[in-house]
Amino acid sequence: MRTLAATSLLVAAIALAATTVRDAPAAPLPPLGGTTNVVPPDASTLDARALVSNVCSKCHGPSGNGVSISPLFPILAAQRPGYIEMELQLFRQRERSDPHARAFMWGIARGLTDEQIEGLAQYFSSQPPASGTPSRDPALAEKGKMIYENGVPERDILACLPCHGPNAEGVQTFPRLAGQHRDYLALELHEFTGQLRESEIMHRFSQNLTEGEIAAVTEYLASK
Amino acid sequence: MSSAQVPAARLLRLGTVAAFLLGGSALMLVSTPASAVPPFARQTGLACEACHTVPPELTPFGRRFKLNGYTLTTRPPLVSDTDDHKQNTVFLTDLPGIAVLAQMGYDHYDRAPPDTGNPYPAHAQSDTYQFPDQFSLVYAGAVSDRVGGWLQLTYNGQAGSVGVDNIDLRYTDHTFDNKWVWGVTANNYVTFQDVWNGFGSYALPNFNTVTLWSGGVAGAGLNGPIINALGPGSVAGIGAYTFYDDSLYFEMSAYHSAVAGGNSPTVDSASLAANGGAVDRFAPYGRIAYERDWGFHSAEIGASAMYVNWIPSVGYISAQQKLAAAAAGNTYTPAQTFYPGVANRYTDLSVDWQYQYNGEHNIYGFLGHVTHERQQNNPQLVAATFTGASSPIYTNPTDTLTQFLATAEYFFDRHYGGLVSFTRTTGTSDPLAYGGNGSPANQFMVFELDYIPWMNFRFLLQYNAYQVVANNQNPFTLNHANFPNSPGFPNVKASDNNTWVLGLWMDF
Repeated sequence: MRTLAATSLLVAAIALAATTVRDAPAAPLPPLGGTTNVVPPDASTLDARALVSNVCSKCHGPSGNGVSISPLFPILAAQRPGYIEMELQLFRQRERSDPHARAFMWGIARGLTDEQIEGLAQYFSSQPPASGTPSRDPALAEKGKMIYENGVPERDILACLPCHGPNAEGVQTFPRLAGQHRDYLALELHEFTGQLRESEIMHRFSQNLTEGEIAAVTEYLASK
Repeated sequence: MSSAQVPAARLLRLGTVAAFLLGGSALMLVSTPASAVPPFARQTGLACEACHTVPPELTPFGRRFKLNGYTLTTRPPLVSDTDDHKQNTVFLTDLPGIAVLAQMGYDHYDRAPPDTGNPYPAHAQSDTYQFPDQFSLVYAGAVSDRVGGWLQLTYNGQAGSVGVDNIDLRYTDHTFDNKWVWGVTANNYVTFQDVWNGFGSYALPNFNTVTLWSGGVAGAGLNGPIINALGPGSVAGIGAYTFYDDSLYFEMSAYHSAVAGGNSPTVDSASLAANGGAVDRFAPYGRIAYERDWGFHSAEIGASAMYVNWIPSVGYISAQQKLAAAAAGNTYTPAQTFYPGVANRYTDLSVDWQYQYNGEHNIYGFLGHVTHERQQNNPQLVAATFTGASSPIYTNPTDTLTQFLATAEYFFDRHYGGLVSFTRTTGTSDPLAYGGNGSPANQFMVFELDYIPWMNFRFLLQYNAYQVVANNQNPFTLNHANFPNSPGFPNVKASDNNTWVLGLWMDF
């Protein structure tokens, strides 16, 4: 029995020690769905932070900074709030249906309220942007920059710049692309091309891109 | 490997069964909507590939889901019992996390085993349908926003009985920035709580239906470290863990004997006999691991240590009984199968590793472990210093055992793939403990091809190839006393145990 008591004490001590390292606000974190805790109506940002800590951070950056580790998950830090809001609504309504959206975000977004979506958009858009990955092939990145800024007029590929901004920082509901994971950008371009991700504009713009051009433009954007 | 050459007729027969099963799956592909998803997916709304490369192997996200106590949910609770004064006092989900897990197998030995005269499974047979090999009901998922669990009840096809299987209950919490994730786990299987797949209960390969038929030969079983054997029906334990900075895992646990049907901690002799022994007092287990994730890559290196005082199940004769039996000129049959207070001390040290590439289409991994065991046998059971049991059961005061497992796997689009695995165990020679020339050595390989039409439905074709199974002798002398119905059966090679397995695993 003495051993048992000692073990219980040890466990309690570890639990206590772990509790004291919390640097969270005193209020408990509401689970996703937000119905088990009373959240004041003006606390949408706080609620969003709890969501980020409990849910989003598992894929989009463990510390909640919106900088994901796996290049299949987009970096959300400094993303345009209008774009985040629009996409979360599309996920919730199951209107964005590329394979990754189905696998991950349909489920994650299914219980989000409008206030939570707004709060998440504010939260991630206000995080400092990720510093891009240095280019492995400056010549390729330079070619990508040309495509980004001028398109490929002879093959009816328009420039990206007018919608995504001179520094690829995004404009309103057009997403920020600067510093995004190269693999994620390539994946999305392929999904637009193959109409797995629905966007008439992006399908039209990307369908004539060659593999080499996709490699160039993603190399450029990831390095920004 | 000559034993891998299978006569064409056998291949044809296997091919027919494969065609039947695969044909069946093609039909199901047409007729069944892909809506059957297990409880974690129902709870989170995520697809299986969020947490698994291919079940049961976890992705980095899956490991965090488990370390956070299976609590991530996107379903609103059924009852919201909340007001200003009391926080949520009950957390009821609208979908209980019930799942069915089933595993079927068709096993075919390269050489039909001799007849032990015993019924199956003591007498292994070739061409057996294990239908089911295992059939489980599981509750898996969140119990509250801090508590989650996995509780499994299993019908074991070979034992023909239903019993409590793996249980893992967790209480977890984390700091706001996820710098510290911590939890308490209560479980009944040493390493079931672990989140990596190079070692322990979730080590790959995980589909094991093969019964080594030459186990009927004295001392020809597959020996392994004791940490592999402390599972449901034998132990229960509690542990505390932290996962720091998304990379460093540390755990301390303690396990106690918890024999099914027995009166733990006073273990009765029948239960001891059934389990081959029992843990005496508490067995501490410690684990440390470091994981680093970058891009599509995830790598882990870890170590564990366990110390077990193990009361072996041996025939016990008290001094008085021994004297009385000797005086009467009789051989006394022990009434008790253990010798109270006599325990061997095991120290198991492991190093494990896992590299995982979890790409858009390609998944591959290299994983495994080395476990070194030091077994200090109780002097009362060792030949030179023997004082008590019906007969000494160890030659040496100290035995050691080292097990090495390495697995390589590849999957394409989570539909097609397979693995190759190599296991080798060596150790000190102890003729009394292991029989024959006393070597505990064994060595085998597993080759597996998988077809996964859905993530919760998997067909596999496996070939288990044995290089060493009995005392390092190959071929070895068959003890004909164990096979009374097969008097003329010639001596056997390790490779006679080689087995084809056609398996089906599903979870819904």
